[in-house]
Amino acid sequence: MLEFDALHKSFGEVRVLEGVGFTVAPGSMFGFCGSNGAGKTTTMRIAMGLVRADAGEVRWNGRPLDQVSRRRIGYMPEERGLYPKMKVGEQVAYFAKLHGLGSAAAAKASDEWLERLGLGARRGDAVEKLSLGNQQRVQLAAALVSRPEVLILDEPFSGLDPIGVDSLAEALLGQARDGVPVVFSSHQLDLVERLCDAVGILARGRMVATGTVDELRRRENGRLLRVVVPDAAQPWATAVPGVRIVSERAGDTVLELADGADDQAVLAAALRTGRVTHFAWQQPTLVELFREAVAVPTPQEAAA
Amino acid sequence: MSTPSSAGLVRLVAAREISERIRDKNFIISSVFILVLLVGVLGLQVALDSGDDPTRVGVVGDVAALQPALEAQGAAIDADVEVVELDDEAAARAAIEDGDVDGVLLADGPELLVEQQADGTLLTVVQGAVSQLSLDQQLSDAGITGLAVPEVAVSPLDPDADEDGQRVVIAIIGVSVLYSLIILFGQFVAQGVVEEKASRVVELLLATMKPWQLLAGKILGLGLLGLAQIVVIAVVAVSGALAFDLVDIPGELIGTAVSVVAWFVLGYGFYAAIFAVAASLVSRQEDLGTVIMPTTLVLVAALIVGIQAAASPDGALAVVTSYVPGLSPVVMPVRQAAGEVAVWEIALAVALMVLAIGLVVRLGGRIYSGALLRTGGKLKVREALAAERA
Repeated sequence: MLEFDALHKSFGEVRVLEGVGFTVAPGSMFGFCGSNGAGKTTTMRIAMGLVRADAGEVRWNGRPLDQVSRRRIGYMPEERGLYPKMKVGEQVAYFAKLHGLGSAAAAKASDEWLERLGLGARRGDAVEKLSLGNQQRVQLAAALVSRPEVLILDEPFSGLDPIGVDSLAEALLGQARDGVPVVFSSHQLDLVERLCDAVGILARGRMVATGTVDELRRRENGRLLRVVVPDAAQPWATAVPGVRIVSERAGDTVLELADGADDQAVLAAALRTGRVTHFAWQQPTLVELFREAVAVPTPQEAAA
Repeated sequence: MSTPSSAGLVRLVAAREISERIRDKNFIISSVFILVLLVGVLGLQVALDSGDDPTRVGVVGDVAALQPALEAQGAAIDADVEVVELDDEAAARAAIEDGDVDGVLLADGPELLVEQQADGTLLTVVQGAVSQLSLDQQLSDAGITGLAVPEVAVSPLDPDADEDGQRVVIAIIGVSVLYSLIILFGQFVAQGVVEEKASRVVELLLATMKPWQLLAGKILGLGLLGLAQIVVIAVVAVSGALAFDLVDIPGELIGTAVSVVAWFVLGYGFYAAIFAVAASLVSRQEDLGTVIMPTTLVLVAALIVGIQAAASPDGALAVVTSYVPGLSPVVMPVRQAAGEVAVWEIALAVALMVLAIGLVVRLGGRIYSGALLRTGGKLKVREALAAERA
């Protein structure tokens, strides 16, 4: 288990993290979402020992991460970084050695990974001669070359074309299948929805939502009801207790039901207006969940 | 799979620095340039030394009497005179035409044969020798012998002045090389630090090691390369000078070369650490000049003081600066070469220097740690220290 436990961090007056915590199971992929400046990068840097947490810790297999156990982590920083003038193959081998591989093993692993990522022919070139997409692949090779036990990747998909996205997704799924917990941050929520077993949404220094995408949906489920009543004279739903009209346009109505409100009473009210062409709970997309989660502070949050 | 130790990580960083730098075109060019320059200087010295040809005087006639007289005259005016015995006037003419001799003295006459005209040295030597012999002859003809001519005694006040001069020249060349290499390798360290910051690779590095391990590996790797270079230079220069017999004091030469190499180690350690820390404050190569300028100026000042110390090794300025950390690596070797420096003085300068390196590494290491992950613009030292604590 990779556990992020109650991380707090302030930079001067600015409180960036106020108790961020989540858990990633081995072999699962965790998508880390949040607006710009929400604290995703800071959270990952704390895990990598690049930023010191004011409070809280990150544990792997029950033990706090230290310099030694961090070498078992494959890391891709948000700001990509490679030696521009160093040769691709030597560079990947160098990172393998820094993670503890012997010279021969490092060279072998470097060749293997470059071959796998389609860079076999470029291993003798300086990194700066490669296209950005290929540099990104070298970066990934540098993160994966030491057979890490954990992967922490900050915005790994940014700047990749759709084919690059697919091959990176493939590589990460492969790692997860091998039992490696993978944490990555991304703004591409469709991708997160597609790849991740679990999602965490960070806003204002806190995790405002964590769980599988289905769990998050279920949380939001039973709240938004879309009813289409073309012949309705408005307002038809106000009389039903516990119902608030979110939007209404030409009979296409989205209603929010409070806990305990009776959806069948809503249906009855709708039928009284005439035809009902659509009656269903809204399946929110991750994008909607995300908007909902980060939009405005809930009263409890604001009070906290 | 093993976990690299601290030393292992430092070694990995150092090995990367060496293998990257040794293949770097600029490094290869600068190394070759320095060696070519060195060989050129040696060659020039050899050429200059062989420049003062001896004056060759042919003699036809009483060689037994004329040779010592001619040589004595030459010695008196500090000219190298070689006497060649010739059989007759025909041989004399042939020798002059062939350029074997500068002139021929025909003892009967006496007459001086030259190709076109006699140069001052030749004329003076020949005239003096002939006059001397003739004077002796006339005196003995007049019955005056056993003349007591007082000989002037020469008492040298500083018999080693020449050697001191050589020592000083050697020391100045030595510290100039030391200064150039400190600047060169200090620059390499600074550029390396900025490269890692500018390319952001430093974040990936710091995920596997501590800042001090990165700093130590970098300084050590480039330092070994610098040491190798100064040793090669010293060996080539010293063996060249000895082989071509350019110096009269081989022992002193070797001693000075060794002390320059030793001071290079201390000076490089000090300046490389400062350069690295200064470089960590900026994120672009373009900004590097401004942050390392003050340190470079200190080095330039040290070189000037060092050269000045050669002139008056016991002057207050030289004595004081030879203890000051940062200046001592350039000033002390000159003082050591030029004059008497007590062992305790050297020990004190070394101790102060080591202390200073310790301080720079300790404080600088904190600035470096704090500054590495802060990119964009130029960082203030205070900000870097604050970031290190954060």
